[in-house]
Amino acid sequence: MALPWLESIPVWGATNRSSPKRFAALFMANGINPKEWWAKGSGADMELGKCLEPLEPFKAKMNFVKGLFNRAAVGVGIHPGQTGNLLSGAKLKKGAELGGGISMDQVLANHIGRKTMQSSLVLGCEQPVTGYHETNFSMAYSSHISWQNATSPVPMETYPSLAFDSLFENRGTTRNRSILDRVQGDARSLSRRVSSRDRAKLDEYLASVREVEKRIDRIRAAADKAAGKARDRGQSVFTMDRPDNGLPEDIRDHMKLMCDIIAMAFQTDKTRVATLLLCRDVSGLIYPFLGVRRGHHIASHSDTSDSYLRIVKYHCSQAAYLAGRLASMEEGDSNVLDNSLLLFLSNMWSGSNHDSTKVPVMMIGGLGGTLKTGRVLDYSGTTRVPAVNKAPDKDEVFDYSEKGDEHRKLCSLYLSIMDRMGVSLDKFGDADTRLTGL
Amino acid sequence: MRTEQKLALLIASVTILAAGSDAVSREENAVSREEELRRGFSDVAHPFLVRYCIDCHSGTKPEAQLDLTLFGSTRDVVRDFPTWVHVVERVKTREMPPRDAESQPTAEARQTFLRWSKNLRDHEAERNAGDPGPVLARRLSAAEYNHTIHDLTGVDIQPAREFPVDPANEAGFDNSGESLVMTPGLLAKYLDAARAVSDHLVLKPGGVTFAPHPVVTVTDRDKYCVRRIIDFYQGQNTEYADYFYAAWRLRQRHGLDDPGPALVEVATRERLSPKYLARIWSLLAGEENHYGPVAKLRSLWQSLPDTDAELEQARAGCSTMSEYVRQLRPRLRREFPHLRAKGINNGTQPFVLWRNRQYATHRMTLNRDALRIASSSPRNEEDETAPADELDSELVIPEEEGLQTRHVDAFKAFCAVFPDTFYVSRRGREFSGKQGIQLRNEGSVRLLSAGFHSQMGYFRDDAPLYELLLNEQQQRRLDRLWQELDVIAEAPTRQHQGYIWYERAESLFLATEEFDFARSEDKSVASEEKIARLAKTYLAKADRLGATKKALDAIQEHFRIIDASIRRAERARKDASPLHLRALEDFAERAYRRPLEDAERAEVRDFYDILRKRDGLEHEDATRDVLVRILTSPHFCFRTHPSDAEEPIHPLSDYALASRLSYFLWSSMPDQELLSAASRRQLHKPDVLLSQVRRMLNDDGVEGLGTEFGGHWLDFRQFQRHNSVDRGRFPAFDNDLRQAMFEEPIRFLVDLIQRGGSILDLLYADHTFVNSTLAAHYGIEDLPLEAGGWARVAKADRYGRGGLLPMSVFLTKNAPGLRTSPVKRGHWVVRQLLGERIPTPPPEVPELPSDEAELGEFTLTEVLAKHREHESCSVCHNRFDSVGVVFEGFGPIGEQRSLDLGGRTVDTRAKLPDGVERKGVPGLRDYLRKHRQAEFVDNLCRKLLAYALGRTLIISDDKLLRRMRDELVQNDHRFTSLIESIVTSPQFLRQRGRNYRYEE
Repeated sequence: MALPWLESIPVWGATNRSSPKRFAALFMANGINPKEWWAKGSGADMELGKCLEPLEPFKAKMNFVKGLFNRAAVGVGIHPGQTGNLLSGAKLKKGAELGGGISMDQVLANHIGRKTMQSSLVLGCEQPVTGYHETNFSMAYSSHISWQNATSPVPMETYPSLAFDSLFENRGTTRNRSILDRVQGDARSLSRRVSSRDRAKLDEYLASVREVEKRIDRIRAAADKAAGKARDRGQSVFTMDRPDNGLPEDIRDHMKLMCDIIAMAFQTDKTRVATLLLCRDVSGLIYPFLGVRRGHHIASHSDTSDSYLRIVKYHCSQAAYLAGRLASMEEGDSNVLDNSLLLFLSNMWSGSNHDSTKVPVMMIGGLGGTLKTGRVLDYSGTTRVPAVNKAPDKDEVFDYSEKGDEHRKLCSLYLSIMDRMGVSLDKFGDADTRLTGL
Repeated sequence: MRTEQKLALLIASVTILAAGSDAVSREENAVSREEELRRGFSDVAHPFLVRYCIDCHSGTKPEAQLDLTLFGSTRDVVRDFPTWVHVVERVKTREMPPRDAESQPTAEARQTFLRWSKNLRDHEAERNAGDPGPVLARRLSAAEYNHTIHDLTGVDIQPAREFPVDPANEAGFDNSGESLVMTPGLLAKYLDAARAVSDHLVLKPGGVTFAPHPVVTVTDRDKYCVRRIIDFYQGQNTEYADYFYAAWRLRQRHGLDDPGPALVEVATRERLSPKYLARIWSLLAGEENHYGPVAKLRSLWQSLPDTDAELEQARAGCSTMSEYVRQLRPRLRREFPHLRAKGINNGTQPFVLWRNRQYATHRMTLNRDALRIASSSPRNEEDETAPADELDSELVIPEEEGLQTRHVDAFKAFCAVFPDTFYVSRRGREFSGKQGIQLRNEGSVRLLSAGFHSQMGYFRDDAPLYELLLNEQQQRRLDRLWQELDVIAEAPTRQHQGYIWYERAESLFLATEEFDFARSEDKSVASEEKIARLAKTYLAKADRLGATKKALDAIQEHFRIIDASIRRAERARKDASPLHLRALEDFAERAYRRPLEDAERAEVRDFYDILRKRDGLEHEDATRDVLVRILTSPHFCFRTHPSDAEEPIHPLSDYALASRLSYFLWSSMPDQELLSAASRRQLHKPDVLLSQVRRMLNDDGVEGLGTEFGGHWLDFRQFQRHNSVDRGRFPAFDNDLRQAMFEEPIRFLVDLIQRGGSILDLLYADHTFVNSTLAAHYGIEDLPLEAGGWARVAKADRYGRGGLLPMSVFLTKNAPGLRTSPVKRGHWVVRQLLGERIPTPPPEVPELPSDEAELGEFTLTEVLAKHREHESCSVCHNRFDSVGVVFEGFGPIGEQRSLDLGGRTVDTRAKLPDGVERKGVPGLRDYLRKHRQAEFVDNLCRKLLAYALGRTLIISDDKLLRRMRDELVQNDHRFTSLIESIVTSPQFLRQRGRNYRYEE
């Protein structure tokens, strides 16, 4: 079933060919264990804090980024205000009407998504909720990191089976196919009962229908052809069976299946953009297999505890799993991981005091050689850390104008990533400059 | 002869192909006439062409791309008559042959040529008079698509908003198959538009409807359903003062006797609930309950003034009564503490909902503890320092037992009629205990919310409204609205998922292994079995932790209720599926604007089945796709009228005629009444047809004619996108003003049509229409304008306005930014209004400066005069420059001015084409009245006919045009006369069939 990407390349083996670049964001909520979230040194000699242990094999392909922050998420109280804008850098609106901004993954999807079956994959392992938080932010902000515009989150798929299907049949353009089949029949029967000149007008319609159908077929045909080619060349193509209907019993299976789907979609070029919400903000996930009985959110309130460390480590191991999958997929002289960027991030630094003055960021992959890897980048600089926000009903405003903050914007990182994927914007979120030194 | 009679004759002559002796002799005549014309071509016309024209207009590169050698016979001329008309025009105006040509025809030769042309035209016009002509099948234009979707769905979605501007045909309209082509790109847009419409589809328990916004996501569905309930609540009058006042009115009319039917009358007039008014009436005027607060209210009511004249005092008295109830009632309310249990978060759904239910079921009951017996000591002895409330004394009841009972009963009756609230439309976080404060803070309350923290969930609390105010029909409607919230937005299931999440994320209660089966992501978590399992496990644990009986009962009750709600919604969804499909069939019928054939009806179901079975879609997706399929079908998005009739020309079917009428007059689909007239096969009856037309013209839909016909005829249809005003220099020009300018001529036209006004008003009227924005722009003050409202301005000449000519939309559209353009404005008058043909200018024309300030010492008028000194320019420009100069008193955005942008005094005097100097718009009106009115009338006739028929006019329309003009004169130039002439014409009523043979 799986089909590799090479179909879009006119001549296989031509020297100037370049593989498509892919982007995936992996989100873990409620912060990391601040004590054990660190990296030192570079390349193979890099040392990692305990949170990051699962990433040991990928040190040379990693960029550990310290000290970035999202201005719009600071001083707005806890939880939802720090999540719904993580990938957009937009100020969120309180109250019944949603208002934020388009997230960077969807900017990418709008620009490069047309070339693929799905413009983006937006997946989650925890169901969205739609209530209201005490800070008067909608819980929709807690549930979604991907936003198609200021007012609408991208519907998130939580069922692996449906996410799998979305890469193949019965979705989007293929649904239009069935409709177009039918209306052609209408036009033909109408045609028989009108004058010759009217028939010519209906032919115009019929020809248009057929052309739109052809466009749909072309996307499928190209994919089929490529699969054939790849098989002929004996390339290894990652295949997976369609996941069972329903929700996996165990969160471990759930997360793994979602990573597999992203890996397959990337290798077969069904999409080049994906986000995976491993858990939602104020998460209710439980991890009995880690020996932790408390729900994720409650556990995060003791963020330096050993049990929360295990939770963070577990999430990092998902990034490692996906990286491993992608690394095993050959693509030309390199592999899919080298042509991709996995961005792992959380909405806060510390769950025990809901601190969002720093955002934990870790990246794997070199975006087709455009991004140097094996580095630890520190943008911390002088930063005033606000007191713990204990008065969520008030909008406390913190002064971040001090030197240094201009150079540590999360949105600057996004501009830099989008540049490398061929989407060059003057500004995004609160940033109009690229991240220096990336 | 009345129009109806004429029409009857016409139709008779149309349907019965007359073949009497009359026809035979006519045929003979025609033959000899044709012979004569053929001779004329070889003797007169052809030699004229050869001698004076063909030298230039022939060969591989003919002048003006006009090859006159193609006219080799009368037939050639007839076949390409529009080109021939151009030739004749040039010869007539002596533009051709050019002055410098070697040989010039004598005046007589010219006349003979023109006479032959006219004879040919008259003959041809007569020969095929009434030919319906080639009306091509065509797609709906973007505008028609939007209007049609609006009428079809009842909501204004404007799905074709992003379509490219449709190209216009030769007559200037975008409603003909000549110009409306279909391309793959457009088809994809139609498909997207249909999808956009399907996003608004609401699958209700009883059928389908459309929401004003997309309802694909759950939050949008919540919004839709909640809004409808809130609107319903807000539509009920629960103002006590209004009821007291109505009761007072009744008393004035009937004393204290039974008011009978008058009660319903008064209630209806005052927009009150008759049911509740009856309750209030019996409380105030009845025999019982002369104690406590009821006695107090009655005495207040009885002391209301006795004469009708003192309305204001009566009102004030009623407010006092209302205030009394509002003050007293909260004191009689029962309070319920929160439930608590060890290990369970205070915000847990069972506890919040338990408390909500206690309040909801005690809204009309008395808190007996609030009353104090007269002899006993003050209730709060320790609170003696607190100032005694004046209402405190109202709560005192006598000690004597019998009297006490009567007092308590009065309080009970009071509480039953005056609930502590009629309904709760909003809640904050109930469990926090901050109700009062929270409710005042707009941001922290949610409509219909149950009052949970971070979880969605609704709670219905409207028993007093339901029982006291609503009649059975309203009760059913309100029940339905709440059911819709459960079914459409799946509120109970989502609430339950949120519950499980909350118990994990904000509590440790579910952190034990026994609950691992319950995950909010699991779609089956709301199944009967899993809810039962959760209930059992939860209760067992709560019991182990020592929860009270009350708490355990609340938990048990919660699981019972949520399970029942989820099951009920599930069943309703299942039961509704066949209704949805049935509704889609009906939708297809309306969308296709005719009855469905059996096969088409079956096809709707068949496609649905295929989507479900073959494509594996769920009910909702399949339903939406069936809708998209209907809206993408050529039956919907094309206007074509297939027919099985054998005759080359035959009457339109009734349904085709209904569509033709509605797209002409409304630019949209036929409504139910028109379709039922068609279904009764009545529409071809002249009286029915004309009465439908009159009905339609009085409908708001006629705005479609104003916008689409008016907008294209007068060339301002795209003005809403007009962006060439320098807003820095003209800050007054904002989007509101632009929109107001756009609407002015439309409102003028619609008014003209609906009041049966004369088309000459378009030129000469001294009234116009403005809203507050446009009034400010025109310097019109003291108009009684409501926000957003429009008003007619009589004697608008005081402000330099009146009729079409000085409307700012035309003055602005025909001004290029920082200067005016007499050229464009004048050209607009002669071309759009008068229908004069002006050739496009030669390519080497020099540009005028774009800013008036850069003209140097000359005014624009003087510069133009210099320009006309060039002969090649003057031929045309003489025809309209001066016409435009009269508008110089209006600046680039149509504002009145006395100085131009360069600071020079504007001069609106102009020597108009008749050689007489006139001043300003009044001068132009005078000129038009004297010399050009017939052209204006003729042009409007042609334009309206071309628009109505959806095609370019042909020679055989001449006779109808003549009839239109004649009937116009007989009918005081009423616009509606034109419409009636058109809809009763054979062109309009018939069509060419599939057996029509085109002469090729």
